[in-house]
Amino acid sequence: MSEPTTNATTGATTSATGKRVLMAKTGLDGHWRGPTIVATALRDAGFEVIMIGMARAEEVVQAAIDEDVDLVGLNVGGHVDVAVRAVEQIQSSCDGVPIFAGGVVPPHAKRKLEALGVEVYPPGSQLPEIVEAARRLTGII
Amino acid sequence: MQTPPEDRKWTSASGIPLKSFYLPDDVPEGHRRVLGAAPGEPPFHRGAYATGYRTKPWRIFQLSGFGKPEDENERIKFLLEQGETGFLMEHDRNTADHLYNVDHPEVLARREDVGLTGAVMQSVRDIDICLRDLPIDSTYGHAGGAVVQHAPYALAGYWTVARRRGYDLSRLPGTGQSDYFLTYLGCVTKQQVPTDAGLRLNADIIEFCDQYLPRWVPVSIAGYNGADSGLNAPQELGALFANAVEYLEEIKRRGTMPLAKAARGCGGVSFRMSMDVFEEASKLRAARLMWTQLLAERYDITDPKVSNLRIHCVTAGSRMQYQQPFNNIVRGTLMGLAAALGGVQSLGVSGYDEALSIPSEHAHQMSVRIQQILQEETNIASVTDPLGGSYYIETLTAQLIERAWAFFDEIQAQGGFLACLDSGWLHQQAAENQHQEFMAQADGSQRIIGVTDHTDDVSPFEVDGFMGVDDAFDVALERLEAVRRERHEKGAADAMRALEQACRGDANIMGPMMDALEAEVTLGEIGDIYRQVWGDWSTPIQT
Repeated sequence: MSEPTTNATTGATTSATGKRVLMAKTGLDGHWRGPTIVATALRDAGFEVIMIGMARAEEVVQAAIDEDVDLVGLNVGGHVDVAVRAVEQIQSSCDGVPIFAGGVVPPHAKRKLEALGVEVYPPGSQLPEIVEAARRLTGII
Repeated sequence: MQTPPEDRKWTSASGIPLKSFYLPDDVPEGHRRVLGAAPGEPPFHRGAYATGYRTKPWRIFQLSGFGKPEDENERIKFLLEQGETGFLMEHDRNTADHLYNVDHPEVLARREDVGLTGAVMQSVRDIDICLRDLPIDSTYGHAGGAVVQHAPYALAGYWTVARRRGYDLSRLPGTGQSDYFLTYLGCVTKQQVPTDAGLRLNADIIEFCDQYLPRWVPVSIAGYNGADSGLNAPQELGALFANAVEYLEEIKRRGTMPLAKAARGCGGVSFRMSMDVFEEASKLRAARLMWTQLLAERYDITDPKVSNLRIHCVTAGSRMQYQQPFNNIVRGTLMGLAAALGGVQSLGVSGYDEALSIPSEHAHQMSVRIQQILQEETNIASVTDPLGGSYYIETLTAQLIERAWAFFDEIQAQGGFLACLDSGWLHQQAAENQHQEFMAQADGSQRIIGVTDHTDDVSPFEVDGFMGVDDAFDVALERLEAVRRERHEKGAADAMRALEQACRGDANIMGPMMDALEAEVTLGEIGDIYRQVWGDWSTPIQT
């Protein structure tokens, strides 16, 4: 699992981390570039990223189990309670798999997700800090 | 971490190299011959009308909507009271974009989202509530229908309400949008009709308006949605005109109406205004010149009433930052200024809370106030095309035109605009630009105040997301059941059958669509017909 990969942007060589990240969108909102940019950055950093796009809570859980992932990234685009439903189902079905989230997350939504143990990266978060979070949450660092 | 001036690459936002100042000789030879044209004269880069804002102040035109139809109605009235001079309806995106009713499993699974991005309008009854007491016979209204597959429903609903109120459709002012960039490039829906079916719908709308609603702007290509998805300024221009060519070629193929009238119908477009003030202002000048060129050279259309492009602008939502949201009032002002300088017929300024939610009432009021201050306090309305003749602006205008036509040609070489959506090529261009932008923020070469730099915030106010109302879903479900219970079932069934037949054949679908709305056929039922007839677009990207 330590085969080196080349970063598409910087040309730097990164070793595969062996860690798998599931990326899903909880809303029916199709803004795809945020999660795509995060996915690219994670792949550049050696993660294997599985993207399933817009998915209902139970679909996210099923994919997390089927793909045996080490981390789930949720793109939130709507009411926080839709994301909360996904978080609660992941937490009850995928023991110990950490979750981080981004998207349109106003302060009240951020607080609600953080209270559930979800790390939240609102708009304006920089890719290096998101990659760093993925490394920390999957136990690489 | 800031690059020293001598090492920095000075370019426009789209990457055009910039000199530190410009001289007469910098203006490209070919462009010099149009410098003497006045605003209101071809090739119109200096403005669509000679008297500019003196006689036609730009329309203050804010996207608005949430919750139940009555909540949206109230917000629209509020905006009109604040001084808005047209209104834009927004239908709930979850249901409208997908043509789902609220009891569709995909919507049920996300019921809290319903009404967050527009009012739920599942039948003509809802549209009627949303338009209650609004002077739709005299006010320029946007019926919603931003999304291609949703537009025929949204338009027919608006027109049905107008007809029921006794208004003469042939005098009704307004617009829809029916935009490809939005859901085929920017926010790709889970399900929508293939692009060629969408072209048929849009051409049907153009024909129908020509026949019955001559004052209505049938489609409005929204470069905005392409640009806020990542396309840079010349790409936005090139792609927008490549899209217009699709419509004109389809109308030409049909031969059902004079091409010049179709061109007039396609000549109301929108652009995004972002933060590079001079590039964006120049972009609007470039757009008008390109439209004049395109119509003359490709279609031999030179009637100045057709070739003067009319422009709506919206300030870039993506430039509104989550951190220190009050800074966005300044950003909205600057982007609005760029639009005003470039010459616009209407403008929407995104809310300062754009990165957090749909606009609160206060954010909406500020968007109107920004425009009123620009119009009333700055004296920029006095002189048309105030930037005209600047060596820099004229050079930039010419350079944008050159690059935009190159992008247009690239699209044509790949089979045209729709083919580039189908293949995912446009998505790649957009994603590439956005990726570069993120990298530029990460390496310090692009600074965003309050986000990458100067992050200390002493504001005593927390701007939290505006979440609308709590009962949008419940009320929508009740009303859907009421429609099903109370409508004349055979009438609805007949209307659905007629609509399906029209979709399967060549007839214009808008007549049967009007009949379907009149018979209280619901949004989701229309979606089901589309899905049966046309199936789904095969999305070229992994979301």
